[in-house]
Amino acid sequence: MVALGVIACYAAIGLWVLGTDAAKRLGERTGWWSVPASPLLDALTVERADEVVGAPEIPGFGIRPRPEERVRIAQSYLDEFRKRVNIRVRNRAEADQRAADAIAGIRFAEATPPNWPIAEFRERIKAALDDLDAIAEVGEVDRHPELLPRIEKVERDIASMLVAPAGVRGMLYHARLALGTDRQGRSILVRAVYSIKVAIQIGLVVALVAVLFGSVLGAAAAFFGGWVDLAVVWLYSTLSSLPDLVLLGVLVFMFTGSIFDDVTKPWLSLVPIYAAMCLTFWIGPCRVVRGEVMKIKELEYIQAARAIGFGRAYILIRHALPNTLHLMFINFSLLFIAAIKNEVVLSFLGLGVKVGPSWGRMIQESTPQVINGFYWQIGAATVFMFFLVLAFNIVSDALQDAFDPKHVS
Amino acid sequence: MTAVDSAAAKATAASAEPLLRVEGLVKHFPVRGGVLNAVRGHVHAVNGVSLAVYRGEVVGVVGESGCGKSTLGKLVIRLIEPTRGTITYAGQEITGLGHADLMPFRRKMQIIFQDPFSSLNPRLTVAGLLKEAVRFHRVVPPGEVDAYVSGLIAKVGLRTEARGKFPHEFSGGQRQRIGIARALATNPEFIVADEPVSALDVSIQAQVLNLMTDLKTDLGLTILFISHDLKVVEHFCDRVLVMYLGFVVEELPCARLHERAMHPYTRALLGANPIDDPDDRRPLTILKGDVPSPLTPPKGCPFAGRCPQVIDRCRSEMPPLENKSDGQRVACWAV
Repeated sequence: MVALGVIACYAAIGLWVLGTDAAKRLGERTGWWSVPASPLLDALTVERADEVVGAPEIPGFGIRPRPEERVRIAQSYLDEFRKRVNIRVRNRAEADQRAADAIAGIRFAEATPPNWPIAEFRERIKAALDDLDAIAEVGEVDRHPELLPRIEKVERDIASMLVAPAGVRGMLYHARLALGTDRQGRSILVRAVYSIKVAIQIGLVVALVAVLFGSVLGAAAAFFGGWVDLAVVWLYSTLSSLPDLVLLGVLVFMFTGSIFDDVTKPWLSLVPIYAAMCLTFWIGPCRVVRGEVMKIKELEYIQAARAIGFGRAYILIRHALPNTLHLMFINFSLLFIAAIKNEVVLSFLGLGVKVGPSWGRMIQESTPQVINGFYWQIGAATVFMFFLVLAFNIVSDALQDAFDPKHVS
Repeated sequence: MTAVDSAAAKATAASAEPLLRVEGLVKHFPVRGGVLNAVRGHVHAVNGVSLAVYRGEVVGVVGESGCGKSTLGKLVIRLIEPTRGTITYAGQEITGLGHADLMPFRRKMQIIFQDPFSSLNPRLTVAGLLKEAVRFHRVVPPGEVDAYVSGLIAKVGLRTEARGKFPHEFSGGQRQRIGIARALATNPEFIVADEPVSALDVSIQAQVLNLMTDLKTDLGLTILFISHDLKVVEHFCDRVLVMYLGFVVEELPCARLHERAMHPYTRALLGANPIDDPDDRRPLTILKGDVPSPLTPPKGCPFAGRCPQVIDRCRSEMPPLENKSDGQRVACWAV
């Protein structure tokens, strides 16, 4: 029950991300529908996952940066601000030096660290700079006293940057920093949660296609026998005699440089992974279903169906395949886990997900961090994956128990 | 089925043309194994069986396990392809017919299986599996399928609630009734009953047999009744064929079976049946040895090795099935 709940949570998050993502892309392309902008709805998107929200490597798992660290971080932002002000003033010879100094010097000495998302912070600085430009166009403050309120407004804007965001935005901002940031300053939590989408996507597609393809092939092989059986058995024996991971790697590698290797089309770029995994994963269900159908086809209800005169394809689809449904379910949940784990391995090797975050990429990116003692990125990816895999293992175990007629409970 | 139809069935029963005629039917199953799955031998399941079943008649086939009686049943309705021999149904040979040409005969010939637990698809409801057959053969117009299926369920003595239930919700006897309903769904005239009661309790056996008797008279069915139980056959059939290792060794009417049996194997079979009267004693013939392997059947009479009346000729030459007095045929050199 708990395991089912966990899976449901993961599935809900994954489908939610998948849904908003798809809706956005569709809206952008066709323009007939746009997703309303709301902080909650926008919290999990590719853009959010790739957004820089803090300084590099803020410690994760609820640990806030130490005060001196925060001051250092804030100082670096403010230095940048000052630099940009200076550049602008220098570029405009007629600009009033006093106005520039006044703004650049506003309470910067006693600066508290800006608890803003970096993008927000940049936006505000840009607004302030625009105001500054407008003032500079007009001329010296001394000669134009009416400019004073506008300068005060810029001062207030900058002062407000030093106050942490509150409300829903504040909550989301703090949540984004809850597990720390990676080396580019991106939120680990958002990336780990967003990766659920990729995991579910790959798990669903691969498990569905592999189970359906394998089952139908295995059932047909067992049911029709003869050369069909020989061909299918030869195919899967040959494929399964190669090491799984090597085969996966080679298959994905084959696609590099093709039209599927396009970073601008995230949907297309997953196709090589789907294809490679489906090509190797159908063997399991195929073998199991073939064995089961071999048993079923000798049963009397199949003979009864033949005596009625049904065609062989009809008997296979209507009478034989439905009775292997339990095996398909079990295999589905097994393959789902296998697909997710293999995606992680492939991504770790640099052959998997190329666009957007995934657990495999997170683990791969964290290798240099772990050496330096920053363990929260690999930790987050592993924990997220662990619970999903554990839940699926429990469920497939329960499925096996529930469906196995020999099992006495 | 109306009274007129069953009257017609009775009328044709007297005619000389049998509904089903089987001539020289042979079935050898190849045994594969070893290098490259080569054929290493053949199981001689059915060895040149000839029989005729007339309209409205119930013909029993008895014999011990592995004597080929079930194979014979499946051969007759073309579930298995024969190696040699011909099957003629209502004057038309059906041995070489393809899937499409066989369709009208599929509708007329049905089978009831032995094991009520493996003979019903566990994922189909009773109504589902009956409707499937009715729709496929367009037994009734689409609008009447529901009523027809309800009629079938009532006909085999199940309650209407059974419609929506799955096979696992029924007992063995009830499941066998469903199996009978399925066989009747296409409105057949000929039914192969492959040990329909041997998997059931004795009390349930009687119920199912009574049901079959009723259906036979109501619907004017012709039945090939396969069984290993001589008592059931004696009770239910008009004629009986005794099989041994794929051969028919004796064919005789069921009336006064004990007095008329001539073949030593038939007599041994009858002798093995317990008598329900403690005072009635008779000399017991206990057979020694085992049935020869169907992989390498003996050259002469297959029963020669166990026969109490064996003579030299039995070991070298298979006796032909010879006509004796009215309708009795025996394959034995000693009688």
